[in-house]
Parts: sequence; structure tokens; C-alpha cells
Amino acid sequence: MNEFWEAKVKLRWAELADSYDVVVIGGGGHGLSTAYHLALRHGITKVAVIEKSYIGGGNSGRNTTVIRANYGIPEAVRFYQRSLELYENLEAETDRWIMHRVGGNWWLVHTEAGRRTEQARAAVNQAFGAKTDFVEPEVIAREIPGINMNPLGQFPVMGASLHHGGATARHDRVNWALAEGAMRAGVDIVQDVEVTGINTSGGKVVGVETTAGPIATETVVSAVGGHATRMADMVGVRLPIRTHPLQAFVTNHYERKFDPIIASADLGFYVSQTARGEMLGGAHIDPEPSYSRRAGHHFVNSIARNMVALFPFMSGLRVLRQWTGTCDMSPDYTPVMGVTPVNGFLITTGWGTWGFKAIPAGGEAMAQLIATGETPELIAPFALDRFARDRTLADRSSSGTH
Amino acid sequence: MAGSTFSYEGTAIDAQDGDSVLLALLRSGRRPTEGGPLCLAGDCPNCLCTADGVSYVRACQTAATGVTDVAPHPTTGEPPLPPFDETAVDITVDRRQADVVVIGHGRSGTAAAEDARAEGRAVEVVDAGEGVEAIGIYVGPHVVARTPNGTREIHAESVVVATGSSEIQPVVPGSGLAGIYTPRAARTVLDAGIELGTIVAVGDVDDETLSAASLDGVVAGELVRFEPAAGSSNVGAVVTKTADGEIATPCDTVIVGLGRAPRDMLARMAGPGEATIVGSAATAAPLPQCPNDGVVCPCSNVTMQQLDDVYDRGFTHIELLKRSTLAGTGTCQGGVCLPYLRSFLADRGESIQPAFTARPVARQLTLAEIGAGAHTSTAARTALDGLHRKLGAQMDRMGGWWRPWTYGDPDAEYAAVREAVSLCDVSTLGLMTISGPDAEATLQRLYPTDVSTIRAGRSRYVLMLDERGYVFDDGMIARRDDGTFLLTFTSGGASMAEMWIRDWSAGWGHDIRLLNQTFSTGAINVTGPRATELLTRAGITDPPPWLGHGKYEVAGIPCTIFRLSFTGEVSYELHHPLERSVELWNALSELGADLGCRPHGLETLLRLRLEKGHIIVGQDTDYDSTPRRLRHEWAVNFNSGEFIGRHAVLRTDRIPLDKQLLGLRFDGPPPIEGAVIWSGDEYAGAITSAAWSPSVEAGIALAWVYEVDGGFPTEVRATGPDGEPITGTVTSLPFFDPEGARARA
Repeated sequence: MNEFWEAKVKLRWAELADSYDVVVIGGGGHGLSTAYHLALRHGITKVAVIEKSYIGGGNSGRNTTVIRANYGIPEAVRFYQRSLELYENLEAETDRWIMHRVGGNWWLVHTEAGRRTEQARAAVNQAFGAKTDFVEPEVIAREIPGINMNPLGQFPVMGASLHHGGATARHDRVNWALAEGAMRAGVDIVQDVEVTGINTSGGKVVGVETTAGPIATETVVSAVGGHATRMADMVGVRLPIRTHPLQAFVTNHYERKFDPIIASADLGFYVSQTARGEMLGGAHIDPEPSYSRRAGHHFVNSIARNMVALFPFMSGLRVLRQWTGTCDMSPDYTPVMGVTPVNGFLITTGWGTWGFKAIPAGGEAMAQLIATGETPELIAPFALDRFARDRTLADRSSSGTH
Repeated sequence: MAGSTFSYEGTAIDAQDGDSVLLALLRSGRRPTEGGPLCLAGDCPNCLCTADGVSYVRACQTAATGVTDVAPHPTTGEPPLPPFDETAVDITVDRRQADVVVIGHGRSGTAAAEDARAEGRAVEVVDAGEGVEAIGIYVGPHVVARTPNGTREIHAESVVVATGSSEIQPVVPGSGLAGIYTPRAARTVLDAGIELGTIVAVGDVDDETLSAASLDGVVAGELVRFEPAAGSSNVGAVVTKTADGEIATPCDTVIVGLGRAPRDMLARMAGPGEATIVGSAATAAPLPQCPNDGVVCPCSNVTMQQLDDVYDRGFTHIELLKRSTLAGTGTCQGGVCLPYLRSFLADRGESIQPAFTARPVARQLTLAEIGAGAHTSTAARTALDGLHRKLGAQMDRMGGWWRPWTYGDPDAEYAAVREAVSLCDVSTLGLMTISGPDAEATLQRLYPTDVSTIRAGRSRYVLMLDERGYVFDDGMIARRDDGTFLLTFTSGGASMAEMWIRDWSAGWGHDIRLLNQTFSTGAINVTGPRATELLTRAGITDPPPWLGHGKYEVAGIPCTIFRLSFTGEVSYELHHPLERSVELWNALSELGADLGCRPHGLETLLRLRLEKGHIIVGQDTDYDSTPRRLRHEWAVNFNSGEFIGRHAVLRTDRIPLDKQLLGLRFDGPPPIEGAVIWSGDEYAGAITSAAWSPSVEAGIALAWVYEVDGGFPTEVRATGPDGEPITGTVTSLPFFDPEGARARA
């Protein structure tokens, strides 16, 4: 028997009722977290979560499981720091093991410009509550096991920002813990049901059409990944989102003794060892928009080479499996959350490469918005209308995958 | 007999020609894992070993020749990580092209290869049994395989997957014991002359195998469990169920035939139309009977009880079953468990679920192997690169180029520019020539300036705006004659700008010629109060006036000289043919030696330009930098007609200003670049550029300063370089020589 199987979570599937207070489209992390927080924080339990495949089967189950708050603008640092703190408490709160582990996120730089970028990141992190320091090469050489300080002869390691709170957790377990909590509180979650239309009347949401029949509701949350623009199209809302694939892979399982979570924008990858012992590597997003989840060779070829260059000891690790997720990229690399011009149609999207780490805080804020009718301060800057108001939140260098 | 030897746990193991590591071990009475049925076909995890330091190697798929050290797979826990001081190995890549790649050299694969050859097509056949193990079919199609000494990549028009079938392995109590073989595996072992003791067969075992095993027949009944031999991890008896009840048949070896499953993973990972699947890989097989007990996933050690348990707790989808138990996520990628997971769900009344998604890699290979042959992304080098390195420059990558950061004495470099004359390699600047009937019309719409007022021989600083009115590049426009212009861009900005110009002008239907000369032209900036004097020595007695340009010959080398200034001192940019860069540099250095001429690097250049308040796009700008926020409204002329970003700029100019890029002055050393600034307790922005200014004897900075409480602060607080709070005063730009007298001198 392996110790990593899910031994506790109990999922109780529901039949859809005719009407709900809130319908959440998308049974991924953000949809489940929104339902969870609606039920547990606000006592709103007449909630349905509609998933077209299986829960956590989209990007919530295809990401690289890194949790961090080391973003580059105050609004994002505050938000992700809240999420990081909620994650730290999630096991205790749900009484479920999500394999949460703090390893520290080291963002390596190889140029003078990189030093400037990471010093800036550390400064804004410290100012807004995330623990990040800029560290010099000698600290890196001392603390990171097996690192080659001059990979490929042209990427000298010239420093790093060290985000002490950087962590990982098992993505599936996060989804399930939230689903179970919501289900136990009375939320109805259905799988293999697709939303085919959203009905409005006089600019207000009145219901949704699904492959399992119509549902009356005045509040719809689109928490879908990958197809957020198509969902918004149903009510005539245009989203500034483009979807790009992002590729990752894991190696076989090895004894766990590599703690840091390493990222290098110049070398184009990040790597960490999971609690199960796999070495997990991820890459840049693919430059061309696509819904494809096909794994590519160019990606794994170049990442593996760079990874071995930085960590020669990894040469003999065997690659087990590649996979691909899709990233909903907003123009400013910051999420898009909250109300839309259609009354009752709420969105949580633009989760790019940072959706997993935002699951607890994202759901908490969306639930608060629904329960109180007012956009929480934490997510007010992420409103869709920021593009029209020229209040975009440019944060490209923080995404880690560009 | 020829053969080879490898060491296994301190013992030398002799292998015969053609032996896999597994066969050689079995010959010596050993096996690399404690137990589990052997398939000898790479479909299961039951013969994993560590070969020459690489764990998770299937002993059955690895030739004994070429392996020197083999260790067993750990019975508990995971293999260790390699030692952190392990060095990388070099792997060779064998790149090939073919019309057709046939994967699998069995009957169907051989036939498919012959058919394709008969049609005159170039065929590559790969087969794991011949040492070339396909690990994936990627977009292309593009087949990647592992070979005994590296990897093979084959680009093809089409792929034929003839990988045959795998044998269903037993899942019953005791199926983790040693001594259990699938029929094919048994044949291979017996053919190799390996002694297997008392052999019995259960289930559907073909006659040839039966006769090879010298058996009279098959043990009757349905397989129930295996029982160990006393005090051993080897099977001692097989128990079957017959109409008369359970029968235990003593034995040393059991051959279990439970049917086959198509080995179609490679075909399933191919894109539409990329692969044809033939032979038994294409033959649908009935699902095996759902087991009641036993380990269903030997990789992740998942039992049938666990499947039941998670199923009862709501994990009813095949993907949820997999993710919750981790069945199918190990080395064999579902090779053993997938048919059983499907039969389990069918047995529980669920519809027959599809196999889980097939993704590379079908068989494992090391990071070094899959990374072999990748090209290193590299930064471009100017024609003067070697010279900089010879001069002892510390090189740094910036904007996609290797550039000198400093030549070792930044103070002296700075002094040379301010007090004498200095050279800087600016070959990295984006440079293009645009001509053709619509060149001016294109520029007029591309840039927020009135290009018609730039006279021949003159130049102007310009911003490039996107449709949202955000600055994404800057540079100069210089008019050569009526219809020809030279354009400069930031280092690293040229390729984006080229796309930008071509796309827009094509959309406008303009007839232009655009020549990107960034990589074919060298440029040296001669700057400092004695720059004119140096040019005179080089034969230029009538250099271009401020913001003028023209064609000259400098020390015998044809140059286009631009008179402009980024350093704040008199500057001449000498654009010249790339192949003469070194000659020009050396001539200028020699002529200027007694004027105090020395080169300066980026560190000095960045300090000089900051003193002048010149922005660097990318460092001082972000993806929301409008001309107004950058305080560059002076560079936007709304009277010049339509231009990209015009409407966005007009619209956003009506929205209250929230932040702007301002100059800050500190009495002492400034904060680090990136430091956060505060107005009282309110967040007031961040510093984008900072330096100590020797010329104004103060810390100077550019910073995004936010509106706070309805106004822009005139004083901000920040943390100084030593951690102490310091105060910065908002200051007008430039910090030094506001009249620009020095540059125009």
C-alpha cells in the first residue's frame, strides 16, 4: 500500500435541482473554492457546481503545484500572500492532507538586468507582507545542493530572490478537500454536465441551460479554465483573454531530499521535487495561443538540457510523463475577477500560470463578493473594467513562465 | 562463447551474447526485484533495476553488453537521488528523416515496412527488441527513440505503429511472488536455456509454450492465488478454483495466460492522421475479468481493496480513480493496471471508460537523453565582442546581446566621457532602412510625430506606441533623402519592430522596402568633450550638426555619422560595415590615445543617461506606460494625423492621472533599483533606475510615483542601501546640464 493514496476524502455526488441561489460553472479549484467559501463562510448552500468532465480535471489538475506570493506589484503580492496563508491553514481547516510543504522559491538571475528585476521583486514583496530576500551567489552555492554556478558557460548565477514562503501542495488533494467540504455543507456538485447557455432577461442572469436540463438562478460564476471567453460570449461579455498551452513533466520517484523550488527565467524552466519524490519541471507558455494539450518535444528537449546544465546530478533521472495545461493569459498578466456588465454574471479568469496558487484566496473573495454584493478590496484592482479605465496591472515579470 | 560481464551486488554476472540484463540475471538464479510476474516485454515494472547509476531501468529491455554495474530496485522506498556532485554525461543524437517510420519489427511491422518500401518510400524501422525503443510520437510526426548509446530522432511523413500487444498480468493474492511468467516471457526464458524447475501453466497458454515448457497440460480452473514456497518469496503453489473447489498445485514456476491488451499507447499519443496502427496493437481485446483481491498497480502498489475504498467514497471516474490511488502513474504508465481499472469500473456498473490519455513518454529515458541535442539559446555578439573580451571587459547579456558591462574601472570610464573622449560599442542598436513610394506614409502612421517635417539630413527622437497607447520602443528617425529613412530602435527591440512595421504597412496596402540592418551594421559611439577633436584627427572636418547625420569616411572607412546624445556629452554615432568594426575601433583608439580616449561599458552608460533623465524602454517603462505617464507628451504630435495609439492616448488622457515617471534626488547614495517608495504611510511607487551621480553629487533616480491623497508627492521616503530610511525629493529632469549645452557643444 502506498502512503500517498487518498484515504479520507468522501465525495457525495448530487442530482441537479431546478433552481439555485448560485450556479458555479467549472469544477476546478476556483469553482470549488468559491462554492466551499460560500457554504462555509457565508452559509450560502443552495449552490451548484457544474463540471463538464470530472472535478479538478482541467488546469487545477495539470499545473506544477507551486504556491508563492512573490509577485511584482502591490495588488498581486497582497492577494497571493493571502492565498499562501490560507494554504498554510488548509490542512487544519479541512482535516485533509494536501501534502503542503514549504521549500522556499529561489528565482535565479544570470544578468545585471536580472539582478535589478529580482531586487525589485524582493523590495515590493517585503513592503506588502511576503517574505522575500535578494541573495548573493555565495549563498546560492552554499544552500542549493548540486547546483552548477555557471551553466552552459554563459548563464552565470548572479544572485536570486529567495521567497521563503514558496511551497508546493498536491493539486488533486486541494481540489478534493474543497469539493468534499462544500458537498458536506450542502453544495451540489455534478460531473459530466455541460453548460450550453446562460439565460438573461433585461440585462440580468435568470438561469443556465445544461445538458442535464435548465436551471433557474440569478447568480452565475464562470470559473472555467481554457474556455472562459466562450462562456462569457454566451452573455455577450468580451474578455481580453488568450489561451496558451504550458508544458510540464515529471521524472520517476526518488528519495526526497531536494528541498528548494528553483526557477530561472533565462534558462526557461522551474523545478522542484514533489512530496512523492518526482522531480517536476515546467516551462514557459507556448507563444502561440491554442487549446491543445498535446505534449511537445522541443519543450522537453530544451528544458531537460538546461535543467541538466544547472543541476548535472539530475542527468540520470528518468522522465516519466509529460503533460500540458492551458493558460488563460490576460494582457497585463494579472487575473480578471468580479462583476461584469451583465447583472448576476460573475467571472474569475485570467489565471494564466498562477491559478493554482490563488485557489483559496480567489474562492474566498468571490464568495465574499456574492454574499455581500460588494467587491472585496483585495480583488477590486482585478476588475474587468480596469482595461477600459486604463488601470491595468502590468506584472509580466512575475509570472515565471515567460 | 563470446559474452560480457557486469557486476551485480558485488558478484560478476556472465551474460551470453544477446542476453538482456534480466536474462543474464535469471541465468544466474537472480532477479532485480523481489517478485511479480515477468513479461520480458517492457510492459510491467517487475524487472526494474539500477544500471550504471540510472534507476528505473527495465532489465528486460536493456542489453547486457555495455552495462557494467547493475543494482536491484529497492524493495521498499524509492531509489536515492544521484549524488549531488554527480557530473553530467554527453549523449549523442542520431537525427534521421524518413517517409515512414515503422515502430515494431514483428510480423505486422515487417509487412508494413515491406509494403512502404515497395511503393518506393524511405522507411525507418525501430524496435525495442533491437535496442531502439520508441518513447514518443510528437507533433510532426516526429518519433523519438532511445538507443543503446544515445537517442534517435526521426522526422517522417507518417508513422506505422506495429507495437503488438502486451500480456495481461495476473492480479490475485500472491501475484507479487517470484516465479510467475506470462506465456511469451516463459518462452523467451526457456528458449534461453534457463532452468525453471517444476513448471505449471494456468489459463490460456499456447501449445508452443506448453511444449517448450515440457508440460502435459494446463492446471484446470480459474486462478485464485499464488502461495509462497516455505520461507521464500518464490511461488510454491498455484491455487485454482474448479467445480470441485480450490486446488493447490505445487510448482516452482507458473505460466499464466490471461489474454492480451493492445499495446497502443504510442498510437494514442499521435495527432490526427499522423499514425496508422496495424496488427495486434490495433485489435480490440476483451477486458480481463475484474479481480477480487491483490495488487492491481505494482508501480504504485495499489490494491483492489483500495480501488473499492475510493470508489465507495465517490472517486468513480477513471481519472479520479487513477489520481486518488495513483494507480497508473508509475513507471509502466498503466501497462499492468489499466485493463483492470476499466474492468473494475465496468464491474461496478459504470459505462466502459476510455483508457486514460496517452502522453509521452511511453518508455522512460533520462533527462540527459531527452535533453540531448538541444540548442542553447544564445545572445548575439557584435563584431567587437572578441576585442572587448581582450580588453578585459566584464561581459553581460542585455537585450539579447553580449555587451561590456565595464572594462574594470567604471570611474575612469565615466571620467573619460565627461572630461575627454570615450568609445562605446553600440552595434546592438536596432537599425533599419525604409524606402519605397509609401515609406513616409507608413512612418507617418506608425509614429506619433509629423515625419513630413523631418528634413533630409536631420533626425528626431520618436516613441513607438501600440494600439493601447503604451510605449513599447523608442529610437530615432533620420531622413536620408526624400523617400529614404533610417530608423533606430532599442537593442533587442528590432525584430519585434520589424514585424510591427511589416504587418501594419501590409495592412495599409503601402508599398515599402524595409531592410533590417541590425545584424549587418556596426556602430561605435564617440562621445565626450573631445569627440569632435578626435573626429577631426580621423579626417572629419565638417561633422554633422546637432541632430544631423550624413555619409563620411572615417579613417578610410565609410560611415554614416549621427550627431545625437544619450550620454549627455557631444556624441557621434559611427554606423559602418560590420567587417570593419575592429579596424575603426582600433583607429579611433590610436588617434585618441593622447586625448585620454578609453572605452566605457554599460554600467557607465546607464549612469550617464540617468543623469540626463533618458528613459530605457523595458527598465523604466511597463506594459501600461502611456506618453503622459512617462512625461513624454512632448514626443506626441496630435496634429500629425492618424497614428497607432492615437485614439487610446486621446481617451486615456481624459482619465485622471494615477502615476508618472519622475526624477528623484537623494542627498546620499540612492536606494536600490526596484525599491518601494512611500509618501507618509501610503504606497507611492517604486524606483526603476538609480545611481550615484558624480556630476550632481547626489543620488539620482527615476521612479514611478503614484498619486496619493489627490496629488503627487514632492517628497518620498525609501529604504537606503544600508537599510536606513532616506528621503528623496521630486526633481525636474534632466538632473545634469538641463540646457543640454554639453551635448550640443
